[in-house]
Amino acid sequence: MSRRLPAPGNVRWGMLVALLLAWELVPKTGLLPELFLPALSSTLKVMVQDWRIYSAAMLVTLYEIVLSMVIACGGGIAAGALVGGLARLRDLLLPVFSSLYAVPLVILYPVFTAWFGVGPESKIAFAGIYAFFPVMLSTAAGIRTIDPQFLLAARSMGATLTQQITRVIIPASLPTVFAGLRLGGALAIIGVVVSEMLTAAAGIGYLVTLNRTILDSPRVFAALLLILILSVAYYMMARSIERRMVVWQSAGRSPKAARQDGGAGVPVSAAA
Amino acid sequence: MAQLNATAGMPAPAAQEAAIEVAQLSHVYAGAQGAVPALQDISIRVDAGRFVVIVGPSGCGKTSLLMMLAGLRAQSEGSILCLGRSIHDPDPKRVGVIFQEASLYPWLTALDNIEFPLSLRGAPREERRARALSMLRLVGLDGFGERYPHELSGGMKQRVSIARGLVQDPPVLLMDEPFAALDEQTRMTMGHELLRIWSMTSKTVVFITHSLTEAVYLADEVLVMSARPGRIIDRIEVTLPRPRTFEMMATDVFGQMRDRIWQQIRKSA
Repeated sequence: MSRRLPAPGNVRWGMLVALLLAWELVPKTGLLPELFLPALSSTLKVMVQDWRIYSAAMLVTLYEIVLSMVIACGGGIAAGALVGGLARLRDLLLPVFSSLYAVPLVILYPVFTAWFGVGPESKIAFAGIYAFFPVMLSTAAGIRTIDPQFLLAARSMGATLTQQITRVIIPASLPTVFAGLRLGGALAIIGVVVSEMLTAAAGIGYLVTLNRTILDSPRVFAALLLILILSVAYYMMARSIERRMVVWQSAGRSPKAARQDGGAGVPVSAAA
Repeated sequence: MAQLNATAGMPAPAAQEAAIEVAQLSHVYAGAQGAVPALQDISIRVDAGRFVVIVGPSGCGKTSLLMMLAGLRAQSEGSILCLGRSIHDPDPKRVGVIFQEASLYPWLTALDNIEFPLSLRGAPREERRARALSMLRLVGLDGFGERYPHELSGGMKQRVSIARGLVQDPPVLLMDEPFAALDEQTRMTMGHELLRIWSMTSKTVVFITHSLTEAVYLADEVLVMSARPGRIIDRIEVTLPRPRTFEMMATDVFGQMRDRIWQQIRKSA
């Protein structure tokens, strides 16, 4: 019993407990000044004290995140399906989108505040666009990698075009779409928090900036802790939905793409 | 059960009903350097209930031909009659197609995969389940219905594919190198299984393969195609009795027929 290696889950919990202990003990013992690292207990204390402020800020942030996720995920999946599904559109747009993906979009944020003001609208617009591209690109990639044999088999079984989309294309692209949603949601959170930290009058990111300027470290860390909890909660939720929806993904997708009859047998590819 | 082969490999009587009739079929596709002739002047007659195997070098267009028989692809010229009527679009009531294992849907269980064609035309749930279960039994996979494809071996997946092709009870089955992805032993077992299932269902089968041994072992009749543009260059009546046994592979007759196919393919390539 005592010689057996502990389960990875227990080790992870142990690490978390150790981290929280260190957070409490390092400033308390004077290893680091409380200005740099306020103790866990002082952080939690201000969080409880100011719970009205924090929950109000959290509501603003959540509202912005939800709306930007709707833009990013809804628009990203729709656009990705179009770009991935239509060869002509794909050849035209995919190189453009892929290169745009490399641009640090945060440079556009000042423009967004000029257009949409310092309220939630500019955060929603910025985070929505920031998260849009990865969702779109992964959806497009997911639809492109669908094994052509899946569709051929469906047609041979008499599937209509609508049935091919709902019964084959959508389930077959679920794994990549989910990966995109997970990434897109995380990026929407980042986008909202970063833009709140830059220019804002409300939200959890705003509380970070505000308290930092007045050197109120416990209140900065309380806000950081809430953002951390939010991101981890989102990730775990997305993961668990994904696992439930895509039971078959764990084993990987079939690597044997259509090995067709050499070259001559595939006039379709010449047309594509 | 096996009454349709009571005549054990004798040539089919001429008056027998044709399941498939292909007349002067040609196909040309647009390649990068202009028109490429893929299939040339193909005429085939497959009598009902026969097992016909098409062999030929890679790229000879045999998969294209099968896709055309299935109504999945249009030919440039010529006609295809299936059970007396021409075929333009997929018609699962007349023709079932069995692909390689990769065409099973990984997000569906074995049973749901088999039910898939029935659910496409909105068959009632109980009927679907009952028919899928009986197909599962037919292919020897009782008790594996709730497994996902990734939880099945290659041979089991192919059994599910066959069950899916049979579930609508089409009189004609087209099989596109269904066992190509399997290892040699599984492949031979599956060939044997297929013959067992075929003898119980009296289907007309058109089967494509690269394997000459498989061709002779399975077929009533082997059609040999040339390299591109694909033409039918030989037609070999396999006179081995049914049911076929693995021992037959060691006989002289078997070897001679396999050699003849090999010579034809070599000459054309």
